Amino acid sequence: MSALVRHAVARLRTRWGRALLAAGGIAAASAMLGAAVTVAFSLHDGFERAADRADLPDVIARFDQRDLDTVRQRVDALPNVAGVSYRYEERRVHLWAHGIPEISSGQLEGVQPGRRGYAVVAGRDIRDGSDEAVVEQGLAREWHLHPGDTISFRTSTPPVTADRLRIVGIAVSPDNVAYPLASAPRVWVPYRVVTSFFTPGTGQPVNQALVWVHDPDRLDITLEQARTASFGVGGLVFATRDAVRVQIDQAAGIVVALLVAFSLVALAGAVVMLAASSRVEVERRIESFALLRAIGASPRAIVAATAAEAVLVAFPAALLGLLVGALAARGPADRLLEALDQFPAGWSLLPPLAICLCVIVAVVAAAACWPAWRACRRPVASMLRGGESGSAPRGRGLPSGAVGLGMRMVVSRPVRTLATAAVLAASCAVILLMLALATTLDSLQNDPGALGKRYQLTASGSASTLDAVRAVPGVGAAAQRFTADVVDSYQLGESFQLVAYCGDRLRFEEPQLAAGRRATRSGEAEVGQGLASALGLRPGTPLVTQFAGGGEGRFRVVGIVRAFDNDGRIAYVEPGSRICVAQSGTTVVQLADGASRSDVAAALARAGFPTATVAGVTTRNAGFLGVLAALLRTIAVIDGLVCLYAVVQMLALTAYERRSSIALIRACGADTAQVAAVFAGAALVVTAVAAPVAIVAERALLGPQAADLAATYATISLAAAPREIAAVLSGLLVVAVAASAWVGRQAVRDPIVRVLREE
Amino acid sequence: MHDERPLITPTIAPVIAARGVAKSVGSGRGARTLFRDLDLSVGRGELVAVIGRSGSGKSTLLHVLGGLDRPDAGEIELDGVRIDRCSERELIDVRRRLVGFVFQFFHLLPELTGAENVLLPARLAGDGSSAEARARALIERLGVAEAATRLPGVLSGGEQQRLAVARAMVNEPRLILADEPTGNLDEDSGHEVLRLLREIADEGRAVVLVTHDQEAAALADRVLHLADGRLVP
Repeated sequence: MSALVRHAVARLRTRWGRALLAAGGIAAASAMLGAAVTVAFSLHDGFERAADRADLPDVIARFDQRDLDTVRQRVDALPNVAGVSYRYEERRVHLWAHGIPEISSGQLEGVQPGRRGYAVVAGRDIRDGSDEAVVEQGLAREWHLHPGDTISFRTSTPPVTADRLRIVGIAVSPDNVAYPLASAPRVWVPYRVVTSFFTPGTGQPVNQALVWVHDPDRLDITLEQARTASFGVGGLVFATRDAVRVQIDQAAGIVVALLVAFSLVALAGAVVMLAASSRVEVERRIESFALLRAIGASPRAIVAATAAEAVLVAFPAALLGLLVGALAARGPADRLLEALDQFPAGWSLLPPLAICLCVIVAVVAAAACWPAWRACRRPVASMLRGGESGSAPRGRGLPSGAVGLGMRMVVSRPVRTLATAAVLAASCAVILLMLALATTLDSLQNDPGALGKRYQLTASGSASTLDAVRAVPGVGAAAQRFTADVVDSYQLGESFQLVAYCGDRLRFEEPQLAAGRRATRSGEAEVGQGLASALGLRPGTPLVTQFAGGGEGRFRVVGIVRAFDNDGRIAYVEPGSRICVAQSGTTVVQLADGASRSDVAAALARAGFPTATVAGVTTRNAGFLGVLAALLRTIAVIDGLVCLYAVVQMLALTAYERRSSIALIRACGADTAQVAAVFAGAALVVTAVAAPVAIVAERALLGPQAADLAATYATISLAAAPREIAAVLSGLLVVAVAASAWVGRQAVRDPIVRVLREE
Repeated sequence: MHDERPLITPTIAPVIAARGVAKSVGSGRGARTLFRDLDLSVGRGELVAVIGRSGSGKSTLLHVLGGLDRPDAGEIELDGVRIDRCSERELIDVRRRLVGFVFQFFHLLPELTGAENVLLPARLAGDGSSAEARARALIERLGVAEAATRLPGVLSGGEQQRLAVARAMVNEPRLILADEPTGNLDEDSGHEVLRLLREIADEGRAVVLVTHDQEAAALADRVLHLADGRLVP
């Protein structure tokens, strides 16, 4: 057998050009796989990695400022608590650094000795009692801050006082995305710094408790008891570690799912092409196999030598491809993780990449061995008589010109053609999905109408100023929209938002009804799917809420709506409830027909009602969603390259396998364009099969599945629109033409005479 | 009848004339000269058989004459066209209009029926519809009407070669080049194909035939031996 392996090595040495070509294909497929695995794995485990490293608490309780002893007393009484740290958090702090303009949305976190809940990634942690600060990584990156620099802050209300702190470290806390995705950059400082500056003479105030529990599975019970024991603690809101993970997973989950799908498509494409090229190669080598059999080599030894040859080519090519793919994807993936306040995967990427390497090498070896094994099992005499019989010609009904000839050539290889079409269809379905998703993100980001909002501006005003707003030219209608943050009375950890209009709500806000009916009477509620899912609500069930300021509201759920605001954790209730009087609300403005939004906004501002433009629900995270949409479109383009690769490979195989036919038609006077037309016919068959399959698969399978992944709290349609379908079909056409032209050009480079002599 | 044919280069304007043609294969120390200073002229209605040992360069000569390969030196004029000076694009046109090839292994495309194979050169030349009647007539004449409706895989060697001859003639070229056309046929089929080539020559075309077949040589107007790089009677 070692002689056979030596023979395999010698073959590689003498036919290095062909080996290099095969290695190039393997490397390209491996690079795609490496890139996809790097991004998918990095995103998939990013939160857990960061949460573990930062020692993120199981729950963060935020509440109105209270004395530390009072809060500690309540927390100490709770069971299942393993550790707790208290903080005083000051929001809307003016921050600036040397050369950086001041911002007013800073957040100072006064931390007490004990567990921190953040991970220092550069420098060191603050020393209690010092004038030091640790800034969040996003802020450090945006402002180019380093340990040793200083950062200044001041109060926003008179008497204005300021202070300056020395930055000693940079930290990451994955309980929120990083600045500037999060509008409020965080700076961790010793507790004394914040309290002495913002709440002097008030004892030991705290407004945040970081709680670690013994048994996370019993966290619900702990929270319920905490809510019960929180009498007198206003504004209590819990943010659990699981909830943060779910929120981030909802955003990253779909990207991971798409990347996994993309990886599988790339891998399937590579397998199909490698298998097909191995078969062609074996057909060419069958006589040398026969010779080896005739001089005593066993089929197993020949197959082993074939495997060794395949591994010799595949291993370095796959290793190189995976490394290139991983390195290329690492930069964008790390930037995305940084934006999410998470850590790069680092060396933990090695095991999945090693698995990919093994899979690719195994696939290549199997693709080479299987046809060799089939060939070697035939009688030696039969092998010596020649190669495997070609497949039966098919497609007699097709045209007989150059294009028709190409069609007939691929139709004569139905398995390969269908496999290529399947790869192409899967690629195109993924592309359609990515384009549909990117379009949806854009529309959610920019178009309030997509969210059921029928108003275009909000203005600061009250119910008493509504008539004045309505009198402004260009205002079609105006109403007062009230909101209140509440918690469910039965599941105290579940907070959500109540929305009410004192007027015709549906004229201004009409989220799509998913079940039940509209709330029309006092005490009725329509709830978002997110809330319905969290609380197990359905039409007919009661909804009992506790208001932040105390008191209870009772409603009956009559409808479930597809709402995106607040992740669908929202309830629309009819006026008559206390919400109208308890909250000041916002004036919402519907433009008159033909009115310009900017003109009306200017007119309202002149009349004393400053306005804000209503955008999509995601405006707050526009940057992040923009990154996601760009990432999706980039992957779609890369997936388009997979399509090109699949078509080129199939055509190249056809050209290789049918080189004598190509030489013959050239001998009969075919020029380069006519040879390319033969391949165009072949490409046309594959794309014609793939395109409808891709469209149906996306609309009926991938789209609905991805929509479920994208948002469990609302229903979005990810079915590809005609514009996206047209784009993909045009892309397919371009791919087919480009691949045909390239392969046709390559095919005419072979001297006709040499090919004819080979036969 | 054949005895009356001239055994020397025709005096009328030749269809193909090669002067001082040389061709080598390989490069460096491995280079081998197949022929040099080779002269050949074939006129209308003439069938010339080229014989020689294996590896003597007979097929290469045919390829050079038909514009499938380029000579290292010398001039080749085909129907007034200096094909040794032609660009690749011009050679494509020469192959379409002036030359028809018949190969030892037939080289019929397995996906096309016999008739479609015959029509292929006409279609490539953009002459598909007007050539259909011509192709039908050729098929009838060569006695392969039934075979023409089938795919090559189910045809006998003789039927395939007759279809290949029809394909070579469909564009009505001035020159037919046949490379061992009987090499893969039984005796009867080979005889039939040779008779066809003789008829083609008799109709006024020039035919150059590379063969080992003594019968083929006997049917030829001239028999030339390619030996030691030279073409001699």
